[in-house]
Amino acid sequence: MTDLDIGRAWLVDPASGREGPGEIVVRDGNLEAVTWLEGDEADGIGPAGVIVAPGFIDLHAHLREPGNEDAETVATGLTAAAHGGFTTVCAMPNTTPALDEPGVLSQIRAAASASGSPVELLAHGAVTAGRRGEILAALGELADAGVVGFSDDGAPVRSASILRNALAYAGALGLPIVEHPEESALTDGAEMGDGPVATILGLRGWPVAAEVLAVARALTLLGDVAVDVPGARLHLTHVSTRESLALIRMAKDRGMAVTCDVTPHHLALADEWVAGSRRFAWEAVDDAGGARDPWADGALVAAPYGSALRVNPPLRCAEDAMACLAALADGTADAIATDHAPHTEVDKAVEFGLAANGISGIETALGVVLAAVDAGHLTLIRAIEALTTGPAGVLRDRTRRAGRVGLVEGAAADLVVFDRSDRWTVTKAALLSKGKNTPLLGMDLPGRVLLTMAAGQIAYEVPSD
Amino acid sequence: MTGVVDGPAETVAVVPSVDVAPESQSVGWRHRHLLDVDGLTAADLDLVMRTADAMREVLARPIARVPALRGRNVTLLFYEASTRTRVSFEMAAKNLSADVTNIAAASSSVTKGESLLDTVRTVEALGAQMLVMRHAVSGAPYLAAEAFGGSVLNAGDGWHAHPTQALLDLYTMRSRLPGGFVAGRKVVILGDVLHSRVARSNIWSLTAAGADLWLCGPATLLRGFDAWAARGAAAGRRFQVTSDVGAALRDADVVMALRIQRERMASGLLPSLREYAARYGLTRERLALAAPGALVMHPGPMNEGVEIAADVAAGAQSVITDQVTNGVAIRMALLYLLAGVSGGPGSEDAA
Repeated sequence: MTDLDIGRAWLVDPASGREGPGEIVVRDGNLEAVTWLEGDEADGIGPAGVIVAPGFIDLHAHLREPGNEDAETVATGLTAAAHGGFTTVCAMPNTTPALDEPGVLSQIRAAASASGSPVELLAHGAVTAGRRGEILAALGELADAGVVGFSDDGAPVRSASILRNALAYAGALGLPIVEHPEESALTDGAEMGDGPVATILGLRGWPVAAEVLAVARALTLLGDVAVDVPGARLHLTHVSTRESLALIRMAKDRGMAVTCDVTPHHLALADEWVAGSRRFAWEAVDDAGGARDPWADGALVAAPYGSALRVNPPLRCAEDAMACLAALADGTADAIATDHAPHTEVDKAVEFGLAANGISGIETALGVVLAAVDAGHLTLIRAIEALTTGPAGVLRDRTRRAGRVGLVEGAAADLVVFDRSDRWTVTKAALLSKGKNTPLLGMDLPGRVLLTMAAGQIAYEVPSD
Repeated sequence: MTGVVDGPAETVAVVPSVDVAPESQSVGWRHRHLLDVDGLTAADLDLVMRTADAMREVLARPIARVPALRGRNVTLLFYEASTRTRVSFEMAAKNLSADVTNIAAASSSVTKGESLLDTVRTVEALGAQMLVMRHAVSGAPYLAAEAFGGSVLNAGDGWHAHPTQALLDLYTMRSRLPGGFVAGRKVVILGDVLHSRVARSNIWSLTAAGADLWLCGPATLLRGFDAWAARGAAAGRRFQVTSDVGAALRDADVVMALRIQRERMASGLLPSLREYAARYGLTRERLALAAPGALVMHPGPMNEGVEIAADVAAGAQSVITDQVTNGVAIRMALLYLLAGVSGGPGSEDAA
């Protein structure tokens, strides 16, 4: 097993709410000692250098196996996850066939085991059989087999009646419904986020109302079900609009059992990227918080209609991105989830309107979030919390780390080491995922990952050159 | 050879001698592709207009043909049915002595599932130097331009842009409005603005030319344009958006009606064509609200009796056939100007 000494780094431990200079000692894969340094010993160690944090947890990743192994496999997905600092990954069930019965779960677990990756693979099961929205999937059998939630992601649960029944049935099993909030009647043929950019580019707009209606539907049904099933839980994934987040904030204030996540791309990128902008959302708003005009600003530096930007939910206006950041900062959003959605070149090297939805994002998540931290829109510890204890809470600690997601002495080492000041360039070659479909290609991101340890083993180590 | 012109509207463009090859003279055109009109400066627009004037002179000759693009291949790649735009480009290219290849998507390997990028690489390998492209998906010409070594001319993409139409519209207005200028003139685009690439491209060119631009139609067919107008105003590109046809037409100098398609009823955007004709159709009575002698335009093809009454379309104020004729001159001008940037036959790629 692995021995490791990390001297003089900045430790961030959301579980204890503590960050500061310290040292880590790993012996035989166990986190033997966490030492916080003070006084003279701490001189010269700051939060801008090498950072050690608990391994990240991704609530939402598409690993494409079984069915689309050209885009990603469990093995390549876990490798990419480790490169991004993630040591626990929840696979989404929209595979072919869908993960709607325990056999598919066994299959991907076998693939994870065969890969040799120490990254932990968890999975959400489908809500409905074949994700067709008609009848419930084998929820009880899937729960017994160990899924951590249920989702028809890629699409919303089709009808209100099925969603209501699913919330009740899953609630009794102690598991959340992970809902992709989208009112499909408003998004038929939609290509990008609604707004002036879509209007100018002549792309069919994806209205904010489509998400807000679906969030309202899910929250209303949760309230209805909770009367009979107090354990009913709703997790809204990849929430992307200010209005949706306001509804979720109200529901939380009323004590409802709802959690949500936001993605790195929805909090940092905006619809204007489709027109060719490459500035972060916080650079795209005016002093009053309104979205600026990238045409007037001369901010269009890349070719428009880049199909890597086609994603569901779509990139919204910069105001919505800033609302996602604010929701993360104030705790309305419990977690950052990547919605890692790798695609083949064939599915993306086509006209924008014909391209597959999704961004390959598990390796760029940390860098994008650190850019928001660098810009002062998020504290470092809150960012790390949203990547670790936040999602662990959503999972009710159903990871192998159980209640010990943190820099915990005596546990198997599960951590990420990154250098916040070391920028790296996102290139196809640098990405270990099969999916090279990211709009960040060619950009520099802060926070090169140096080492990822999962279950006491090295999952990723930066190549020495 | 590709000097930059980025001056004010008054800048007098150097008008090329269109009888000789474009790469042999410096005319201040710097764009390799024509994908949209949003990137054209006032000086660019002026140069296009003046070059089109020269092309009109060519068209008035007994033999309307110059050797400027001799030896060059212009390939027309049309993924959407089109008669007037395709024929107009074909005539323009032939008038410049270019070799023309026609590819209709329905008769090509496109129907066998070949991707756009493969098709573009193939036509380039077959000798295409300038690619004129029509596509039903917004933004498709940008994808083609990434892969194509020569110049791409957008002949209409989805709802997004139809640059040569906007430029021929501007040319037609300038040649027919008293005084020959568009600045300050009230121009109304009436109809299905939402689905119209013609409207979008005209927004850029007409606001750049200083027109008092109004967009008018049923509210369902104007969705999103108020927000664009609000941003545009902040950036100095003003236009009005209204469903009030009376307010729009009052004292207008130019009225451009847009085609209404039957699919709009199926998608619940309009109750019926009959109701549209009654409320928004450009009739003689409605036209009377406009300034005396106001120009009537239509990008075609027309649904007479729906968005425009037959007597208005054929009436004394109609310049619709002018638009068609000017279309050839404008497309000759653009082929000529772009050819000057992408280099002569056998030249190195001038990207």
